[in-house]
Amino acid sequence: METTTDALLAQVTPYAEAGSIRPGRQTDAIDGVCPRIVAEPTTGPELSEILQWASTERLAVGVRGGGTKLTWGRCPGPIDVALSTARLNKVVEHRHGDLTATIEAGATLTQVNEVLGIHRQWLPLDPPWPERATVGGVVATNDSGPSRHWHGAPRDLIIGVTLARPDGALAKAGGIVVKNVAGYDLSRLMTGAFGSLGVIVDATFKVTPVAVSSRTLTVDLDSIEALEPALAAVMASSLTPSAVELACPPARLLVRFQSVDQAVEKQAEEARRLMEAATNGRVLVAADEAEREVWADHASRWDVDGTLLKVSTLPRALVSTLTWLRDQCDRQGLQAAAQGRAGLAVFDVRLDGPAEAQGKLIDALRDRLPIGDGSVVVRRASQDVREVVDPWGPLGDGEGVMQLIKQRFDPDLRLNSGRGPV
Amino acid sequence: MDTSLISALTEIVGADHVVTNDAERATYDTDGLAKLRSTPGLVVLPGTAAEVQQVVRSCHDAGVPFVARGQGTGLSGGALPHPDGVLIVMTRLNRILDLDIANRRITVEPGITNLEVTNAAAPHGYYYAPDPSSQVICSIGGNVAENSGGAHCLKYGFTVHHVVGVEAVLPDGEMVRIGGPALDPPGLDLLGVLVGSEGTLAVVTKVTLRLLRKPASVKTLLAAFDSTEAAGNAVSGIIAEGIIPAAVEMMDRMTIEASEAAVHPNFPQAEALLIVELDGAEAEVTELFDGVTRVCQEAHAKEIRIAESEEQRARFWLGRKAAFAAMGRVSPSYYVQDGVIPRTRLPEVLRRIRELGDEAGLRIGNVFHAGDGNLHPLVCYDDRVDGQADLAERVANDILTICLDVGGSITGEHGVGADKAKHMPKMFTDVDLDTMQLVRCAFDPNHLCNPDKIFPTPRLCGEVPGPYRQHPAEAAGLAARL
Repeated sequence: METTTDALLAQVTPYAEAGSIRPGRQTDAIDGVCPRIVAEPTTGPELSEILQWASTERLAVGVRGGGTKLTWGRCPGPIDVALSTARLNKVVEHRHGDLTATIEAGATLTQVNEVLGIHRQWLPLDPPWPERATVGGVVATNDSGPSRHWHGAPRDLIIGVTLARPDGALAKAGGIVVKNVAGYDLSRLMTGAFGSLGVIVDATFKVTPVAVSSRTLTVDLDSIEALEPALAAVMASSLTPSAVELACPPARLLVRFQSVDQAVEKQAEEARRLMEAATNGRVLVAADEAEREVWADHASRWDVDGTLLKVSTLPRALVSTLTWLRDQCDRQGLQAAAQGRAGLAVFDVRLDGPAEAQGKLIDALRDRLPIGDGSVVVRRASQDVREVVDPWGPLGDGEGVMQLIKQRFDPDLRLNSGRGPV
Repeated sequence: MDTSLISALTEIVGADHVVTNDAERATYDTDGLAKLRSTPGLVVLPGTAAEVQQVVRSCHDAGVPFVARGQGTGLSGGALPHPDGVLIVMTRLNRILDLDIANRRITVEPGITNLEVTNAAAPHGYYYAPDPSSQVICSIGGNVAENSGGAHCLKYGFTVHHVVGVEAVLPDGEMVRIGGPALDPPGLDLLGVLVGSEGTLAVVTKVTLRLLRKPASVKTLLAAFDSTEAAGNAVSGIIAEGIIPAAVEMMDRMTIEASEAAVHPNFPQAEALLIVELDGAEAEVTELFDGVTRVCQEAHAKEIRIAESEEQRARFWLGRKAAFAAMGRVSPSYYVQDGVIPRTRLPEVLRRIRELGDEAGLRIGNVFHAGDGNLHPLVCYDDRVDGQADLAERVANDILTICLDVGGSITGEHGVGADKAKHMPKMFTDVDLDTMQLVRCAFDPNHLCNPDKIFPTPRLCGEVPGPYRQHPAEAAGLAARL
């Protein structure tokens, strides 16, 4: 017989008294699933003890941070305990001379960068919703933004992790130094795992100086096809942009340079020359307030409901994939918009329309992009869409090992069950 | 070794590529770390990925351990053979399979050397960024196993940042492709954990790497200082300016002299030398270079030389990269240590290392990647003097303790291998190590793939724990287990 919520709470009275555990409310729901209990530990050891208890009681545990990606991944099963990182939110240490920082999972990116900013440094991750997205959530989803072009994704920046295993044991891997090959790299294994292997307690990253100067070129082109020469002109040059973004429709390329004044000016000028020679598009160079507006506009395209796909292709196949998407969507009455890392050929697609048609399009796109040559993952979608298409899709040859890793870490499959890739 | 396994493997790779006789097998008994020796039970040199797969499968079926070996330049005994096992030498798999400039990728077999990759891309204006000092001879497969770095990883990262896909044979003989030329393969980051796993999780048979555009401008300077502390302060000063150079390398008097004797780079006489290299857009390099020069002057550099030509720059690097090998000129034997510290602790740690050497009566040379705090102290000794080798090893171990004291690591790029497994408990708790070995158990529950490396105490894996559960995708009717 299932233990009642009150009986469960009674088992953990000390935590309840400390305000770390309380009954779940609808506002605590993870992808619509309301947890019976919410735990909000303030320290790693406390989090570990709560997980240990949940493990002994064989309770299903879901993890939540800032709540910006709760509908990402597959729909979760019933959740007994929602483990929230809301109160585990300190910047533990910013070693500015070493360009590293250790940060608890629940800190938001905005909070982190306020602290790092004191020494004119930042954690160079700019995914959507920085004021709410937490470090734990960004690592768990390996999410990133335009700056990934130069600085990399969370998996490129993480150098150490403290994690709580599903059985509650606290383990660490990596360290606080930027170069370190001692032991298996569990930091990277946790990155992008959607919390399926353990709960991130804190993570240590390489951080970087804030650039003193910045310019952004905006190139508006007549068609998606015209992106090809524009992009080629930048990528084949020896320019060192910090971001190369696309946005369709219309057919826009954003190229950003961040460095010292002179370097930024000269590179922006060189890039403008190359773009004008390669296209007949309009090239605008923005700085200061105008530049902030360009990026705010770019980011605002995110704050729209609908399905969100993450698509990766070979660089050479980027534009042909975009035109294929446009043509297919036109034919099937779907609305699509694409946005993302043009220089890396990794981008997001927003999709709207009947669930069946969306499912068909996603399947067809997956056929076009076999594992290795690309991938299509449904990040966010309504339940209707997720009923007709698996959000993760094929994981390739590695799937067997991935399942075995999950089983070794979480033999009862109780942690974030169902949501992640395994 | 079981004769039926020997015949099976001979059948697979051909009699010409099997080494059975004692004397020849003994030539494989060590990698770059000569103090550890173990003659392999059998040596095979497969010529194709398919042969590697069959070899691994045969070993697995026979329950015989196997160790993959590239060029054997590793410095932690990571490729130390197993006396009752098969050594799989990968050097015949040395082809470039696909140079794909349009996608900025190259796919190679693991036996090819690091430098050959860059050489293949160079005519197109591209290069492969990680550049370990042994790049002329070390193999890409070994780089993948060790997550090799090099002088330029300060700015460009390590092997793990540049490998986008591999084909690998799992310890049970299954061949898998993980990742590929496109970024972000879905699912768990298997590449992230495979790269740097020191050959304990799989045998890699193909590697797809990112290529980078050659920088528009490269400027390199050499700054001479009266003390390693002053040079260390200059390194901190450069970082504090917000400058991330492509490389910041330091050498001390002993390694400068050794290098001078061996390859004559014409370095200035000094207690410490910094080599600082900036690369990128012309204007950026010019402006930041002025900043670096100023910081070095403020840190009391007594001489600053700027490479005026590519030839002179190459000479600076020759002097740096030859330093390890050159130590033979100044000491009969030396112990190469590899430890990491937070770079702000450089002056303090260098002082403590010097004190250790003084107490033991041994000379310690220092040549290292100062920008990322990766030290390579060279503890000199004379193995003809009784007890000196042991003393040198003790001093080298004490250096690791210092690194850990200040929050560092026992290895930055040489790996744990067979040599440092005993030090792992100083850096990690039992739970940490146990958790890492959950990964090992998922890949290699029978401990056949390069056993006895990294972990001081192997974990008993047992059966895959837990009951079979239907996967959510299966439940939804979206996928099936075949």
